[in-house]
Amino acid sequence: MARYGMVMDVTSCLGCRACMAACSQWNQTPFWAEDFKGKWRTRVTELEEGKFPETHKVFFPTICMHCENPPCHSVCPTGATYINKDGIVLIDYDLCLGCGYCIEACPYDARYEYEKEDLEKDEFYFGEDARHHQVHVDKCTFCVDRLAEGIEPSCAATCVGHARIFGDLDDPNSEVAKLVNSGKAKPLSPYLGVHPKVYYIK
Amino acid sequence: MDLVQQTLWGWNIAIYLFLGGLGGATVALAILGELRFNMGKWFGIIVSILGMAILAFGLIFLIIDLINPFRFLLAFWIKGIGHSWIARGMIVITGVFIFGPLYALATFFDWPRFKKWMGYIAMFCGFGVTTYTGLLLNANVGIPFWHTPALPVLFTVSAFSTGCALIMLILAAMKSEEAHHFFHFIEGFDIFLISLELLLIFAYFDFARLGNAAVMKSAHLLLNNPLFTIGFVILGLVSPLILEAYASTKEHSKGLAAFASVLVLIGGFLLRYLIVWAGVFQYPHGIAG
Repeated sequence: MARYGMVMDVTSCLGCRACMAACSQWNQTPFWAEDFKGKWRTRVTELEEGKFPETHKVFFPTICMHCENPPCHSVCPTGATYINKDGIVLIDYDLCLGCGYCIEACPYDARYEYEKEDLEKDEFYFGEDARHHQVHVDKCTFCVDRLAEGIEPSCAATCVGHARIFGDLDDPNSEVAKLVNSGKAKPLSPYLGVHPKVYYIK
Repeated sequence: MDLVQQTLWGWNIAIYLFLGGLGGATVALAILGELRFNMGKWFGIIVSILGMAILAFGLIFLIIDLINPFRFLLAFWIKGIGHSWIARGMIVITGVFIFGPLYALATFFDWPRFKKWMGYIAMFCGFGVTTYTGLLLNANVGIPFWHTPALPVLFTVSAFSTGCALIMLILAAMKSEEAHHFFHFIEGFDIFLISLELLLIFAYFDFARLGNAAVMKSAHLLLNNPLFTIGFVILGLVSPLILEAYASTKEHSKGLAAFASVLVLIGGFLLRYLIVWAGVFQYPHGIAG
């Protein structure tokens, strides 16, 4: 039993988007979608901060926050969204009704619909290795299949600037726990009361 | 903060929210009329079946909004009953479709005790349908305009107002003494409901005036949309209120009240559509875009 979490060091993010590429390859998310429709499990947004002429650019990586009290879980009618023993919020594709209630409920824009045309493209690009076989709502899983083999999520493993730090929040010696416990890394929108397990250093 | 207007839920959901509320309220009011206002068994049977038909028709819009409509049977897999309003909604909707027909059957064969119990349970389920539609939107914490305790109240009041409107349209065509009596009861009830709805709308915007950025944005979208200001507030609320209040003071004014009913029905739909349309996410800095 672990309590997995991630720290995003915004000050170290280069904006190379290797995480987006690695994630979409590993998890076969719809990178083929026209106009990019926002169908990514992880995203890096470009932001402008400060007031002219004192402005600078910031790259802001986001994923599912794997909240301790996830609204997506609480609205799911069929129990398709569940929390596993390691605190990771997951979706049972066989039970997903596709109502989109969780997409509306998520305050972090972490979910999207994996539609019929995405299934066709998935099979076109990955053939026998295609991993999506029915329409469902999709989101980050912290690469739960990689964790089972003892390797880091693909976005953290590929990050050039060490901007994504993954680990067990319950292990006081882990880098994530140290950053979170020291108060250096903070969650987004804490007032919502959903207790995200992804923290940010800004 | 990034403010993003939601686009996932649109016409289909709004039509369902409207027809669901209308159907649920119609079932409840039809049974009330038969059990308490001596409207006769055929009124109870026909109007409660009409309410169920409206609800069933509304459900079609809910099903076609799924990513894959053929997966709708999974909705009966209500494992999320402890926390999800769609799962709880499925229970009350199923309740309407079980106890409604049982009530109609008992009324047809004139089994008084059974009819009464089935009628009360079906009324409760009908009421549940009108209530849960607001609670459903209420659960979306990312959209502050929906995430307020006023929304379920507003939707319930509006649903019963549209139910009253439909019942008034039916009663306006009936001649009996009981129908006349029930008509005046429903007319008075609708005047009360519309007044309450006006108060709720006012409270909503008074709340938005001092609310956070997303709530203000939602309020701004609504106030700048003529469908809301002229369509819903003036034609769908204020006009029928004046017309019904005036008609209630006259003896032969069922035509006027029936006209007001049509306005209430249009207003009820516009309210659902516009509230869904004006849902604005408040994402933390950098999430959207």
